[in-house]
Amino acid sequence: MKKIAIISAALAVLCSCQALKEEFQPVFTGSYDNPEPYTWYSDSDFSNIVSIKDLCACYSKKNPFVMPGSHVSLANAVIKGRVSTTDRPGNFYKSLYIEDGTAGIELKIGKNGLYNDYQQGQTVYVKLGGLSLGMYGYKDGNYGGQGMVQIGYEDPSGDYETAYLELSKLIDAHILRGNPADIRIPEPLVIDKESGLPNSKTEHQGKNGKLGRLVTLKGLKYANEVFCLLYLNSQKDKEDFANRVFLSSSNNSDPTCGVTTLAMSETKMTEYLLSGAWDQCKVGSGSNYAKDDQGNIITIGSLKGNGRYPGVEKAAYSVSQYFKMGSTEIQIRTSGYCRFSDYEIPEDVLSGKRAIDVTGILTNYQGSLQLVVNSAADFVYSDTKEPLYN
Amino acid sequence: MKRFIVAAIAALLSISAFSQTLSEGGIKATVVSRVGRTPIAGANVELKKGGVKMQELRTGNDGKFFFQDLANDNYSLIVAAPGYTETQVNVTVEKGLVRDLIFVTLVPASQINEVDDSSFGEFDLDDSGYTDTPTILFASNDVFTNVAGYGFSAVRYKNRGYNSESQEVYLAGVPMNDAITGYSPYSLWSGLNEAMRSKESTIGLESADYSAGGYNGVTNISAMPSDVRPGLRMSVLSNSAMYRFRFMVNYASGVLDNGWSYAINASARIGGNDWIEGVFYRNFALYAGAEKRIGDEHRIALIAFATPGERGAQNASTQEVYDLMKDNMYNSNWGYQNGKVRNARVRKTFEPVIALRYLYTPSDSFEASATLLYRTGFNGYTALDWYDAPDPRPDYYRNLPSYFFMDDSEYNRSNVIKYGEALEMWRPGVASNANYQHINWDRLYNVNYNSPDGRSKYAQEQRHVDQNDINLSGSIKWNLTELFTVTAGINGKINRTRNYKKIADLLGGQYYLNVDQFAERDFASNAALIQNDLDYFLEHGEAEKIGLGDSYGYDYLAQIRRANLWGNGTFNKGNLSVTLSAALGYEGFWREGLVRKGLFAGLDDDGKEIFYNGVLLTSYDSKGNVISSKGKSEVSNFLTGSAKLLASYTLSGGHRFSASFGYFSDAPTFNQAFVSARTRNSLVDGLCNSKTVSGDLSYQLSTGGYNLRATAYYTKIMDQTDVMSFYDDSQQSFTNFAMTGIDQRHVGIEFGAKMPLFVSGLTASAVLSLGEFVYTSNPHMIQTVDNSAEIIRDETLPYWQSNPVFKKNSDGSYAYAEDGSPIVEKTRKHYVPSTPQLAGELALNYRTNSYWFFELNGQYFAKSWLDMNPLYRTQFAVSGPDGVATPEEIEYMTTQECFKPCFLLNASAGKSWYIQRKYNIGFSFEVKNILNNRDVRTGGYEQTRLISTSSKESYKKFDSKYFYMPGINYMLNIYFRF
Repeated sequence: MKKIAIISAALAVLCSCQALKEEFQPVFTGSYDNPEPYTWYSDSDFSNIVSIKDLCACYSKKNPFVMPGSHVSLANAVIKGRVSTTDRPGNFYKSLYIEDGTAGIELKIGKNGLYNDYQQGQTVYVKLGGLSLGMYGYKDGNYGGQGMVQIGYEDPSGDYETAYLELSKLIDAHILRGNPADIRIPEPLVIDKESGLPNSKTEHQGKNGKLGRLVTLKGLKYANEVFCLLYLNSQKDKEDFANRVFLSSSNNSDPTCGVTTLAMSETKMTEYLLSGAWDQCKVGSGSNYAKDDQGNIITIGSLKGNGRYPGVEKAAYSVSQYFKMGSTEIQIRTSGYCRFSDYEIPEDVLSGKRAIDVTGILTNYQGSLQLVVNSAADFVYSDTKEPLYN
Repeated sequence: MKRFIVAAIAALLSISAFSQTLSEGGIKATVVSRVGRTPIAGANVELKKGGVKMQELRTGNDGKFFFQDLANDNYSLIVAAPGYTETQVNVTVEKGLVRDLIFVTLVPASQINEVDDSSFGEFDLDDSGYTDTPTILFASNDVFTNVAGYGFSAVRYKNRGYNSESQEVYLAGVPMNDAITGYSPYSLWSGLNEAMRSKESTIGLESADYSAGGYNGVTNISAMPSDVRPGLRMSVLSNSAMYRFRFMVNYASGVLDNGWSYAINASARIGGNDWIEGVFYRNFALYAGAEKRIGDEHRIALIAFATPGERGAQNASTQEVYDLMKDNMYNSNWGYQNGKVRNARVRKTFEPVIALRYLYTPSDSFEASATLLYRTGFNGYTALDWYDAPDPRPDYYRNLPSYFFMDDSEYNRSNVIKYGEALEMWRPGVASNANYQHINWDRLYNVNYNSPDGRSKYAQEQRHVDQNDINLSGSIKWNLTELFTVTAGINGKINRTRNYKKIADLLGGQYYLNVDQFAERDFASNAALIQNDLDYFLEHGEAEKIGLGDSYGYDYLAQIRRANLWGNGTFNKGNLSVTLSAALGYEGFWREGLVRKGLFAGLDDDGKEIFYNGVLLTSYDSKGNVISSKGKSEVSNFLTGSAKLLASYTLSGGHRFSASFGYFSDAPTFNQAFVSARTRNSLVDGLCNSKTVSGDLSYQLSTGGYNLRATAYYTKIMDQTDVMSFYDDSQQSFTNFAMTGIDQRHVGIEFGAKMPLFVSGLTASAVLSLGEFVYTSNPHMIQTVDNSAEIIRDETLPYWQSNPVFKKNSDGSYAYAEDGSPIVEKTRKHYVPSTPQLAGELALNYRTNSYWFFELNGQYFAKSWLDMNPLYRTQFAVSGPDGVATPEEIEYMTTQECFKPCFLLNASAGKSWYIQRKYNIGFSFEVKNILNNRDVRTGGYEQTRLISTSSKESYKKFDSKYFYMPGINYMLNIYFRF
């Protein structure tokens, strides 16, 4: 019996020794050394760096492809650029733009808070092999035109030409960081004449290197028109005309619909709704208005119950403002989720007395130019160069 | 030769006969109950010598027995009586004298002591998952309770399906159930097995000497130094399912000649386990006590204990994740940091308890006691917090293959290529996948390194529930006559608990900002609304920067006052015993906010509305009351009470019948009373006492080594309140479901039997628990989120207590009545979750005279149900975006999930050796789940999110999350005593 006891004790001691090594090292320390900073990449790590403009030139409309595809020049290729956008104030969402002096391009990464991983002004390298090159915002026909060439992932559903990367392992494999100490936000291109604007009907980044880049549009005047699309029910089809209201087109007497902010947060949108200012606006799109059982056109006001607008208040919406350079209308796209969405456009700008200079990414959507700003600091008065918002 | 042999035999027989006739020794005693020292009539007393039965007799009405004419030798007496725990007494008869033992005391079977850990591994189930509470706090000689308390713990068996708060736990006569949650506070003394071993417990409705008791048993841990087993004891325990090692040492002096008793108990539980990566223990425990006996009348004791330490927690995941990792024990809480495993969720506690106890025993018939007990310290739980950065949890649903592709096109997830990439990312055993399958700490640090102004975007928070709890209890016990005993007492509690969180680790950054990030998204235009500390913001003009160890987010006090007066009267006459118990109590509580949250600014210190930049911050609820986060809430007051009647009758032959009935009116607990205690003072509407009626009937048989109990019980609990909080990542906030009017019914039987088999020392036992624990009402529910004053949903849950099952045609389509409504075929009940409602065990136990023991048992568990989410039982959820509830939607959304039944095989063995009659060394070794069954679900919950289908006609549920039981695991305990 004593032998059994001795063997048991010896076994326990042996177990202890083995376990001590693996078990107690992290457990007993309780503290952990800080990890090393990321390793970063430089040009010497890559053999084939192509320009963004050349890459975009490989795209032909309605023909997205997984790179390198049939393009020999894209074999083992990377593009290199500095990050020109930040999603910190919330006006960019799940993607970022990089530019290399030839053009700029959107990387559809598909995560929020990207500025935490890729700082504005930091160099990134994009390994193109396996990613998809496609376009967002192309529209055929007289009122259509070009969209923007983008890099994303293949979308087999065909809903979009590119999908978000989303998966961390994919992102880490394709989006590589340059030196985090070398931060330089690209200098914006200045466009101060209408003639300096790209041809939105025919050009994308492969033809015009101003697109997708940080530009400063000078001397913009308020266009006295708001883009405001409301939905009645987020859970219902957003393409259904009976589920949406284009405010400016349904209220022709005042295309601004009384909106004086850059965009609108949910709170601000509710404020406008509850004020009754939009009660006369008709549900529908274009001239195709929704009607009730009696054949009357449904207005926002008719949806009111107990002083509230239960569906509309909860539903998605989009608000932005139009400005003009010469006769060209440029929509300044602002998200309702960004921190400056509720900023008021100054009275002297709204009235047309003063022009403004705005810096942002110049984009093309269905043949219309749009400018997407990074932050409220991107708005300055043309005359004094003072910021609109402090 | 033959004659010689015959002669020799004859001679031997004659010597034997001569010696027998010369025997004059004997053994006598009175068998009494430990309660009241009342004689036990009809007790069975067996006399054994060398394991062989010599004689057997029954005690008379006076409880006396007398074995006469015994030769000098060592004997053992086995004394058994129905309703009492069998006991064995070793007696040596010397010099032909009659040994008068005076009393043989039997402990009522309902008052039971923990089984020695020399024969069982140890009951030491800490929170390996989401709950802190073991199923039953003790094991016992009652076969059923023993198995249910220890053997069923692996599947989180709940006694009669009741919640932990119904199980009353006392220490030194002071009620210890948590003042905030009502949970039994096992973790306060876990690891102090020796010091806390001496305890008395009752089951079901039975009352006790220190309480009128509830309907789920009462346990009192003595914790007095003189009750700790004298001597020095040391043990080493290793197991593979919780922590690697426990080292324990205990010394108790016993009662010394000078009246002093000392005891000290210390232990360390350390290491990880073989099944759940990231789960570890680093827990220590220390108990010290001194007691002085002054004369025969006074005893005074001072004890103190604490169990400081840390342990890593497990997390539940969806089945998809478990399948991807090919491991049902996958834990998403950890990741590698510099190659070391680091758990993000670690419970860190230090909650010392100090108690002063006085006992006064002026006579055999009267005793009184009083205890002053104070509990303080901290109880923290770390978790990751992040601001405007991607969700760091590896099993976040957007990281999983199902987010990219689902067979069901209604999910609108069709990217098969990314699905393939995601499958690859989750392929287990690939080193480069480790940072995607587990928390990527290196990335969190790098994000913070690159934050330009040193602001941490990821941090580790520590949520604190720090209690200051002072208690005063007093009780008396008075044997008024031989027939009548009274016990009575009074308890008072003042509890002040600070709930807050602080920064435990800035993960390479310099500070964290004290703002509500979801509010920031919705209220971007008003900087005041997003502040977690509005007063700081208004004073300094900017949000507070939080450093390491600083509190942030929320900070409030829970204030609780409780008083209770109780009494039991027991009448014993002959074989009849009747007890009447009653209690009357008061409970009051309120919340006291210590910070002003921007969203719930309330009124300023002068009682005026608060404005910022001309915007009114003060908000009001639907009744026009100010919604306030700071200051004192309304005080909730409740009158509580209970009444119980218990009766038992004992028949000759070891049969005992008993019946109990009780009514209870209990106050809701603090954590069930506020819609969102983290953020505001708003109370749940319609708070009221829960009412419980409960009764049981039992039959017990205890004779000749046979031990049996069968009990049938019925309990109805009405008007319960509950607040469930879940983290909702779509809102990036906690969402709260405050439910009122929850009714439950618990009906069932308990059966336990033990019998000796044909081989000496071999016994068989069988245990069965069969119940039906169901919801019997459709409660009212109010849904809120932490970062909005808005009431998101306010409705009765039509599918909480049951869901309809609709009739189908032969082609599988639903059948409709002439009026167009679907035909309901039957109604499917919804069950109280997370416990098997059918549990059984068959065991064989073998003990030898040389102190070996072996046990083999098989267990079967079935009818365990998943915890339900109120959201899925609303009309809103079954109706879908189109507002039309189809039979298919109702069945899909509201049906409660039942876990698969399981069979487990367990074995244990042990042996102890006595060395020089002075030292005792031994071991016990137990192997659980020998069949290595790795798909036994022990609990889980439904997530709170809905997915709108592509047709916009219905909602889909998010996958539920589950906890699993470990596969084969061992426990080895080696101990040494002298």
